[in-house]
Amino acid sequence: MAPLIELHSWSALAPTLILALTGLVLFVFDSIDPRSTNRSALAGISTAGALASLGVAVWYIVAGVGDPTRRGTFDLFGGQLIVDQMALFFMVVVAVVTAMVSIASYDYFLEHAYQAEYYSLMLLAATGMSTMAAANSLVTVFIALELASLPSFALVAILKTNRGSVEAGLKYFLIGALSSAIFVYGISLVYGATGYMQLEAIAQNLEGAEGFSGLLGLGVVMLIGGFAYKTASVPFHFWAPEAYEGAPAPISAFLSSASKAAGFVIAFRVFATAFPIETMADIGIDWTLAFVILAIVTMTIGNFAAATQENVKRMLAYSSVGHAGYALIGLAGLTGTGSNDVVLGAAMMHLLVYGFMNTGAFLFIALAEYWGVGRTFEDYNGLAKQAPMASAAMTIFMFSLAGIPPFGGFFSKYFLLTGAIDAGLLVVAVALVVNSALSLYYYSRLVKALWIEEPVVERDSLTQPTGLYVAIIFAAVMTVVILPGFGPVADTAIEAAAAVVP
Amino acid sequence: MSVPVDYYVLLSMALFCIGLFGILTRRNALMFLMSVEIMLNAANVNLIAFAFYHGNLTGQVFALFTMALAAAEVAVGLGIILVLYRNFRDVDVTVPSAMRW
Repeated sequence: MAPLIELHSWSALAPTLILALTGLVLFVFDSIDPRSTNRSALAGISTAGALASLGVAVWYIVAGVGDPTRRGTFDLFGGQLIVDQMALFFMVVVAVVTAMVSIASYDYFLEHAYQAEYYSLMLLAATGMSTMAAANSLVTVFIALELASLPSFALVAILKTNRGSVEAGLKYFLIGALSSAIFVYGISLVYGATGYMQLEAIAQNLEGAEGFSGLLGLGVVMLIGGFAYKTASVPFHFWAPEAYEGAPAPISAFLSSASKAAGFVIAFRVFATAFPIETMADIGIDWTLAFVILAIVTMTIGNFAAATQENVKRMLAYSSVGHAGYALIGLAGLTGTGSNDVVLGAAMMHLLVYGFMNTGAFLFIALAEYWGVGRTFEDYNGLAKQAPMASAAMTIFMFSLAGIPPFGGFFSKYFLLTGAIDAGLLVVAVALVVNSALSLYYYSRLVKALWIEEPVVERDSLTQPTGLYVAIIFAAVMTVVILPGFGPVADTAIEAAAAVVP
Repeated sequence: MSVPVDYYVLLSMALFCIGLFGILTRRNALMFLMSVEIMLNAANVNLIAFAFYHGNLTGQVFALFTMALAAAEVAVGLGIILVLYRNFRDVDVTVPSAMRW
């Protein structure tokens, strides 16, 4: 069927461009009325922009953009950016998280003085993350990564008079600056060894790089460091608990879901496209081994540290490190044997489901901070009697994060497990099962506090802020609904992964 | 080429290690920022030397991008250091330590 309107090829980037445009519209709004605290207009604009971006990305996936057998992938600007199914998949994740966080911020930043700045920084960070999904050259990867990082530093520290927020912003910035310096040095070494920055061109010139295998190996290790920072995995994970705990809770939700997914998409694309494992193994650089170790260490550290926490937000922060470990299986499993597309697709699915359940969980923390009930498990005691709906949603998130069967989190973990076994990574599969079992302990501890324990202190009746409730209920519904709808999601993810895996 | 490319790589690695040493030992946030800048410039030395060696311009152009991004990073960083000073009356990175595991 011939399309009704022939669009220019760069319109394939529309989901990203809409986010950028929304950020600029917010700037214009702010410059016309700098002192405005019109929260409805600002949150409305940014939610509408994120939803428009989401709609276009979903429409493109359904219409077959990026599908090699239908409309084909779009190479833009000489292969610097590429719009394929994987790019669109992650654009969906980023857009949906941005939309939920925008709605929730309406209530959370009730008395904040810098409303327009907050929303425009968030949309610009989302633009960077969306560009990361499409980046197909080390140049665009680095620029998109910085575009996502720089507004994030400011967002974490946006509560300027709150010491926790400033401390979190400082730590996030210092580690971020260090890791981006390491990352760009890694890029320079890879460029030195191969002479190219574009990912396919690097892959074609790897054979000529045998004489530089030392430089190339060091460069690859440094690139892994950069990705580890962005995805909050070992060895650059230690900023995550501080940044997530100190940041305003909606920003923690945004960073731990969207930013992590964006970090993974560049890792997937760079390693699957630029460094095909067969060629790299010939040179003597077996990067899947590095990811096997990182995956196991990351999930173990994350889950064990989460189990010892008293502070709920910090527990979720460590659990987010643990989930980065699960998603790393997607890279560890690209061994060339077994079905590589299943394991990579499983990691993509996990990041999508995680985008709903983890954002929802952090938004529940935002709700608790809005009520001012406190931070520890004990402070959450008996909340279910006063706010049954939000507590039910939180229970869904907790069980889904643990990977209990009736929810979305179970299926993505199940696919990860089969993928890992298929790739012959029994150790990783065992680590995944053991860590999931451990995680059930601290997730159900929160559920117990909500439903069973009696409140330590008497609380006044709790209000029901509309924006936060809408976002939390939407995330809960999606976490459940994704189960019957898992067939198409899984097909899209595995198909998208198959197109990237050589 | 008059100077072999190896020497440029040695120079840049030396710069990178100096920067890393600075980050690990300095406690002043501004010194920390300067050390990061040295590390970024080490990468720039590499990029330009390799661009000359390979005979394509990709590295040189990317070095320009890196400089612009480094400037943007410093702008955000100085902003954060400013609010740090306002809240803690100090720019020592070890002073804010309310959150520990």
